[in-house]
Formats: sequence, C-alpha cells, structure tokens
Amino acid sequence: MNIPNVNYTVHYVVHAYRQAPWRIQRQWIGTFMLMVLGLAMVASLYLDVTAQAALTGRTIQDLSYEINAGQQANASLQTKLSELTSTHVMEQRAAALGYQPISATRIQYVLVPGYSAPKPAILAAAPALKPSAPSVLPEYTESLIDWFDQRLSPPPTTGLIGSSQ
Amino acid sequence: MRQQYAWRSLALAGILGFVGILIILQTFRIQNSPEAAVFRAQAAAYANVLQTYYPERGDIYDRNGHLLAGNKTVYEIGVDLQTAADKHAIALAVGVELGLNPDDLYNQMTNPPAGLQYLVLADYVDADKAAALQQLKATTDAQNNSLAGLEFKPHPQRSYPEGSLASNVLGFVNREGRGYFGVEEKYNNLLAGNPVQVRVPTDPNKAFDIPHVPNGTTLVLTIDRDLQAAVEQILDDSLSKYGAANGTIVVMNPRNGEILALASSPQMDLNQFWNYGSIYHNASEFDRAVSMPYEPGSVIKILTMAAALDSGTTTPNSTYLDTGALLVGGATIRNWNDQAWGVQDMTGCLENSLNVCLAMLSTKMGAQTFYGYMNRFGIGHLTGVDLAGEAAGRLKVPGDADWYPVDLATNAFGQGVSVTPIQLMMAASAVPDGSRMVTPHILYAMVRDGRQYSVPTQYAGSPISASTAQTLNQMLAVSLEREASSALVPGYRIAGKTGTAQIPDAYGYEDGVTNASFLGWGPVDDPQFMIYVWLEKPTASIWGSDTAAPTFAQVAQKTILLLNIPPDSVRKEIAKP
Repeated sequence: MNIPNVNYTVHYVVHAYRQAPWRIQRQWIGTFMLMVLGLAMVASLYLDVTAQAALTGRTIQDLSYEINAGQQANASLQTKLSELTSTHVMEQRAAALGYQPISATRIQYVLVPGYSAPKPAILAAAPALKPSAPSVLPEYTESLIDWFDQRLSPPPTTGLIGSSQ
Repeated sequence: MRQQYAWRSLALAGILGFVGILIILQTFRIQNSPEAAVFRAQAAAYANVLQTYYPERGDIYDRNGHLLAGNKTVYEIGVDLQTAADKHAIALAVGVELGLNPDDLYNQMTNPPAGLQYLVLADYVDADKAAALQQLKATTDAQNNSLAGLEFKPHPQRSYPEGSLASNVLGFVNREGRGYFGVEEKYNNLLAGNPVQVRVPTDPNKAFDIPHVPNGTTLVLTIDRDLQAAVEQILDDSLSKYGAANGTIVVMNPRNGEILALASSPQMDLNQFWNYGSIYHNASEFDRAVSMPYEPGSVIKILTMAAALDSGTTTPNSTYLDTGALLVGGATIRNWNDQAWGVQDMTGCLENSLNVCLAMLSTKMGAQTFYGYMNRFGIGHLTGVDLAGEAAGRLKVPGDADWYPVDLATNAFGQGVSVTPIQLMMAASAVPDGSRMVTPHILYAMVRDGRQYSVPTQYAGSPISASTAQTLNQMLAVSLEREASSALVPGYRIAGKTGTAQIPDAYGYEDGVTNASFLGWGPVDDPQFMIYVWLEKPTASIWGSDTAAPTFAQVAQKTILLLNIPPDSVRKEIAKP
C-alpha cells in the first residue's frame, strides 16, 4: 500500500480577546480619577494639619505673651506692695496706731530655751524655678516635605572626634 | 464616525497637554529668571523681623527680704498716624489725662517726621494714668471711635519702693537700662541679664519658638532696711545738730565684713534719678564712704599703735615723757592742744590722742616697718568692696617725689595720708576679733533660676598677731572708759577712737574747719558691729569727741536694738553653764 505523500499543513486558530475600547478608557479614567482623589485627600489633609498647626502655634504664642504680661503685672504689684509697706509708710502707720520707738534701757531680755535668733533668710519671695517657655513641637512647624526628609535622612552617627592619646 | 471623534479627542488632549507642558516650562522659566532672584531676595528681606527680647532686670532685696529695687509696668502711648481718625480728640484726651499741652501734641501729629507712621506721644506713663486713658478710649470706641489709632505699649521700668532709702548704696538705672553707682552699676551685668535676639517669621502660618530669656539675677544685700533707715535718720539729725556740711555713717559686721547700713549725704530719690546733676557736683560725692578719700586724723592711730605693739616697738605699759613737741624732719609735731601731757603710758596716748606720742612711735619703728604695716593694713589700696566707684586713697611712701621725712610722723596721726571710711574699717577689722581683716561687702546672696548662691566671707590677711589685736582691743576700750567718752553705750563695752583732722587746701590746712570722725565697735568681748562716723566741717564743735562720738553712740544704740544684742551682763548670764 502506498501511502500518498501528503503534505499536511497545520492551522492553529488563535483566539484573541480584545476589550472594548470604552472599557479601556474607563479604566484609565478610573485610575486617573483615583489618583486625583488620592492627591486631593492628601492635599486636604495636609492643608488641614498645617492650618491646625499654625493655629496652635499662634495660641501658644498668645499664651506666652500672656505669661509675660502676667509676670510684668506680678512684678508691678510686688513693687506696689513694697511701696505700701516701705519704712516710712510703716513708721507713719505705727505712729498713728500709738506705737513709740523703744529705747535700749526699756528692753527686757528673756532666756527662751531652744530659741535661736532669726538669720538672714533667703527670700521666701525669691523667684521659684521658672519653667522655660513652652516649646513648639516640630509636628506643629515642619512641613510634610520636612517630615519625609527627616524620615529618609540617615540617623546621625556618633563617635570620637580627634581623640588621641 | 467613532474614529473621527477619537482623533478629535486625541488632538484636544494633545493640545491641552502641550499647553500644560508650556505652563510647566513657563513656571520653571519664571522660577529661574533673574527677576525671580530679585523677588526672592525681597521676600527674604521681609520674611523675618529681628526682635530683641530683654530680660526683666533682677530685683534687689535687703537681708530680710524687703524689696529695695524692683520693676513696675509703665506705658508708651503713641498714635498710629494711618488709622488716627480724629487727631484733635486724641490730642485733647492725651493732653488732659497726662497733663501735656494738647496743641503741642496736635502739632506733632499733623507734622510728623517724613515717613513716620507711628508717633510716640508720651513714654514712662504710670499705669494708673494709662488705665484712665484706656478707659476713655474704650468709651469712645463704643460711641464715635474718635480715639481710634491711639495705642498703648506696656514695658517695665526700674522702681525703688523705698524712695531715697539706701540710695547711696543702690545707685540707679537710667531709661536705657544701664546702672549707675552703687550696686546697680557694680552688678549691672548680673542684674540686667542677657538680651536675646531672634528672627521672627512674618508668615502668619509659621509659628516661631519664643525664646526663653532668663530674668536678670536677683540680689540679696547685707543691708538691714530698718537699721539703714535709722542710720540715715541719725545722720540727718547729726548734720543738723552739729551744723556739718556732709556726713557718712557705715555699720559693718567686723567678723564677716557684711555692711549692715551705709548712709552718706546727700541722698536722692532714686525714682527721680534725673535730679542727680542738681544734687551732686561730681561722682565721688554719691557715696562718700567708698569714693571720697580724706585725711582721717586720729582714728588712724589705731593702726599706728597696732603696728608699734606688733613690731615690739612698745608695750601697753611702756611709758614716755610727753613734752608737747617733737622735732621730725625739720618740722615740730605738737599735740592737739599744744600742751605737754607729762608721763603717759600707751593707753594714755590713745585716751588723750597724743600726736607727739604716735609720731614718736612711728619714728622709732622706722619708715620701712611703719609703711610695711600700713601696706598690710591696705592703706593706699582698694578694699575690693562690691560698690561702684571705690577710691584707693593715697599713702605716700619713701621714694615718692612728694614724700618727706616729716610724713613718717604726721602719717602716724592721720595727716598727709588719705583714706576712705571703708578702708579704715577693713584695716581696723583686724583688731576686734582675732587678727584677720575682712573684706567689706554688700552682697549677701544671688538668686538665679531659683537657686541661691551665698557670698562667702573673704579675708584680707592678718597684718598683726592675735595677741596684739587682743591687747589693742582692751587698750581702746579702757581709753574710752577712762576718758568717759560720749561714745559709750550703757550696758555695753565699746572700743574705739575719735578723730579730728584739719582739712588740707592748696596752701596747707584750712583754718577753723575739721573732719570729725569716730571708729568703734562692740561689744568688746563679742564684737557684732563696727561703726564709722564721719562728719564734715561741723560748726557746733570742731572736735570729733563732741560730734562724731555721740553720733556713734546713737547709732550703736539703734544697732543694738535692731540686731537684738543683749547687754554684756545678760550675755554673760546666758553664757553661764
């Protein structure tokens, strides 16, 4: 049996699926809108945070000014009080109340066990430890770019500089 | 059809994209153009304002916590010429409230210097007056707003609640904030603190960190306010009673050098420091105790006798025959009454204040020994007291062009040598308690950032031995008791020495006028105060024993009262086991 020399040609059928152009456009538009929305959200958040930081910073400034004004008022009142209790005023008040200066001969000294003479005191009125002016935290002042920059910057290294034995 | 629309869309998108790219390119071009650099520079110039924050000047207290110098709020009142609605109304309101001429104010507002937008109408206005004006402005704001543009700026001003009390010690601060005289000048840097300059961003969105400017250091002085007031009163009374031109009284603790009171005439109300020029003729008059050297006369005999005893030149019981005259270097030294006093011991020399005796001792010691001791006592040197304007005085020594052999004799009784009261007090502080001289000081402690730094006692050497000091202490006490001096205080043993010195002029010494002095301390067995009295040109009597000595007694009695020092008998009773 002779087998005829047949040339076989194989035809492959390629099934290509192509989306409709309007779908592709819609995807692009959707992606773009998503990015725009994302950017708008970041921008609005940034604007909100920045505005709040500025407002808070201003509030802190106002409070600092109020503290300064309060300290000045306090100093003024202290001076006023000292004027009202000055030597001459107190002498006049004592005289008006009928007090008289005493002479050394009219003093009687009494021994009181355990009594010690008053020593020069450091003032109760001495200024107490004053807290430093409130510091504005960097969160209230740095921009978003500053914040990124700070996060991306390598931490400072430590080491000895020029030490020698 | 769809293809056609697609091309149109693409073309439109391309055009819009191209325009967008053009805009971006233009943005870059503008950003990097030469004009942009100019604008950036302009923006940078206005981006920050340089502001200086001045610390509040430190307060000054006395040793018991009474405020002697503080700060009060005063106001600068000005007008914003751009927003001033009714300049007539502003001029009238400010003029009436502050006692200024409204016409002058109106003229200032209508003819301001070129370019001026804010005009200061008045400064250093008291808070009460400013408040009245602010109230008036608030009322008009609700009605016709005629005082719009009127502005009030508070700022601190130095204030002295005690007025003229301790003025010679404190000094004052001018409106530029600089201290003059006394403590205000000496500790100006500490009191004033350090101003801080910062660049404040003008961008309202940039809140800046307000710098913490620490206030100036608060000072606590050794002064006792009540004693100071009493001493000033006694000084005023003595000047009046004895007809003295001026005077000085200093009270010091001889054990630690703390100055408890220092009064010097004339005094001034420190709240009106601008009157300084009409009260004082030169700076040395502000605090005579430290700034004005004078020939002290016989009070310096304390030091001469100390030198003679310590060097072995004499002993307390040594006697000599006082003939009333001694020839030294071609000049004859005489006693204060030109009389001979016969045989005297060393206590008698001090008791009768014999110039001849002390001149004999100094010449016997020799110049090297005598001036060596004077040098160790600090005569001719600054004491280092912490008050501004201290003068060193003058002690001529062999080798100086103007030193003559007779100076060795006259210096021994306080002529030809000039000292300040504070110098003599430091020198004499070697006598009452041990042999150590103390450096006088006015600062008891500093308070800074809530911490207190006390000032330790500083000693200035021991010019004599302890036994010499003790011997001389007793001799000076006995000499006062024998003399029945008016410096004595009942119930308390006092040691001291009077001084009556002629006043030198260009031709020698003035006739009929003297400087009367007394330097003393007590109680002798437990010295707690040393007092120096100097009355210039007393007219009631030229003698220190008649003027300075009783003044000393008055001050001593007040000191005893205010420092709570019991009489000798009570103290001895208490000391018994």
